[in-house]
Amino acid sequence: MASFGWKRKAGEKVSKAAVQLFEAEAPEEVSVDTGVDWLHAIKRRREVLLEDCAAKSKRLKDEGALLAEQAQCRHWEAIRRWEEAIQLTPEDACLYEMKSQVLTFLKEVFPAVQAAEMAVRLSPRWWESWQTLGRAQLSLGEVDLAVKSFQVAIHLFPTDRSLWEEDLSWAMKLQKQRRAIEEQARLEEETAKQLLAAPELIPDYDFESDEVVAACAAVAERQKEYEKLKNKTVFVSESGTVETVCESKDSSTVPSHQLFVKAR
Amino acid sequence: MSTQYSILFKQEHAHDDAIWTAAWGRSERDGSETIVTGSLDDLVKVWKWSDEKLELQWTLEGHQLGVVSVDISHNGAIAASSSLDAHIRLWDLESGKQIKSMDAGPVDAWSVAFSPDSKYIATGSHLGKVNIFGVESGKKEYSLDTRGKFILSIAYSPDRKYLVSGAIDGIINIFDIATGKLLHTLEGHAMPIRSLTFSPDSQLLVTASDDGYIKIYDVQHASLAGTLSGHGSWVLNVAFCPDDTHFVSSSSDKSVKVWDVGSRACVNTFFDHQDQVWSVKYNGNGSKVVSAGDDRAIHIYDCPV
Repeated sequence: MASFGWKRKAGEKVSKAAVQLFEAEAPEEVSVDTGVDWLHAIKRRREVLLEDCAAKSKRLKDEGALLAEQAQCRHWEAIRRWEEAIQLTPEDACLYEMKSQVLTFLKEVFPAVQAAEMAVRLSPRWWESWQTLGRAQLSLGEVDLAVKSFQVAIHLFPTDRSLWEEDLSWAMKLQKQRRAIEEQARLEEETAKQLLAAPELIPDYDFESDEVVAACAAVAERQKEYEKLKNKTVFVSESGTVETVCESKDSSTVPSHQLFVKAR
Repeated sequence: MSTQYSILFKQEHAHDDAIWTAAWGRSERDGSETIVTGSLDDLVKVWKWSDEKLELQWTLEGHQLGVVSVDISHNGAIAASSSLDAHIRLWDLESGKQIKSMDAGPVDAWSVAFSPDSKYIATGSHLGKVNIFGVESGKKEYSLDTRGKFILSIAYSPDRKYLVSGAIDGIINIFDIATGKLLHTLEGHAMPIRSLTFSPDSQLLVTASDDGYIKIYDVQHASLAGTLSGHGSWVLNVAFCPDDTHFVSSSSDKSVKVWDVGSRACVNTFFDHQDQVWSVKYNGNGSKVVSAGDDRAIHIYDCPV
């Protein structure tokens, strides 16, 4: 009640000129004041927040890198650090790229390819992300895709020798081996087909005649050929795949780990 | 003749993978216009440009890896292509047959460029050497040493006096062809130079770099005449217009830009590609431009003359 009275009184006591002056000045002053203040406050706050995210992400990234360089049992911890960092800075291709390297190392091949694909999408002109994608694809068994990825990396940055000498030449060797195996398999299948649909079996034979003997001989010959081819194929594919598997283990772990020590 | 810049034709899915290089040639014999493209899919394709559309003429197989660079001889009869398998192949454009295959040695074939008399092909190597191959002989004839880094780009001056190379570290080297001497070394850019082009009067040299800038040099004095900005990312290719007053550039920012040399200003931007544009070239009279890139498409643009 008292304050109400005071307000009315105050209004009545102030001279008209003073009120007009006050009113003329007031809105301007108020708007400037609040506007500036709020803008600054919001801006500063966002800056602080962004800095925080970037700094925290950087710390997590470095921690993860340290963990990854240590013994193998800490690789998962590294990945968790980077996943946390990705939450803070989802546009950082480097995080996905490092994650992919470690996932490849841990033989988590499919997630490794996914992470590297993300890295490539976020920074398509960064050759190292293409190299990592190629290596992940290679350990997934996608040799053709790996050859393409390595080529893109080389096209972006042709002076890295490891790309030519380790990655591309190795992937191409695997590609050749696989093509040879596929060719063998195709031949084998064809011969097997012919064996089942042998032309000698079709006509209606007079079982007393020599024709039957001749046909049997021909079929036996065919079967022998098939067996020969089959043995050969098994031999080739076994040596090929066994060799492929153990060598690909070497290449996917050793260079990627070395590269990792080099660190991004 | 058109009076404004416009897109004339799009060939979608021209290759099965990213197109890294394109060239435009005109046959001296019958005047037909030919476009040659090279791609990560290991193929070189030859297209005929007639009646305002592209027609696939030949698909040239032979390269074992992605095709990095193609060029067409000045009489329009032969195409040269180089790929990551370090082979340079020569193709007869009329028959679609391979004429020669030259092994340049590991990592020693990148950009290829025909000499103005079309008797030689120059290519850069990883040790900073420019190797010159004979078209007739199919062998390395001689080499020019920049004593520098990996050479990404090469150009001959139309007056047959100079050969320039652009390296991965941004250094430009200008050679005198007659004496084989290194005339000038310019520290043009701090980043890879992926393309160089001379003006038809051989007075100006335009360079494109990963730093996003295009630079214009006065060749005679080896001095910088201008730095142009406008692309938002790597500048991948530049090509001069036969009218001597324009040149065109392509970039990782997915755009193709036409520049006026006199005013140093961009006069038109084509934003028609879906991905980075690796290659851009003018046709013989400067009325058309071809571009190709990672989106596997070939575009033809109309330019006012």
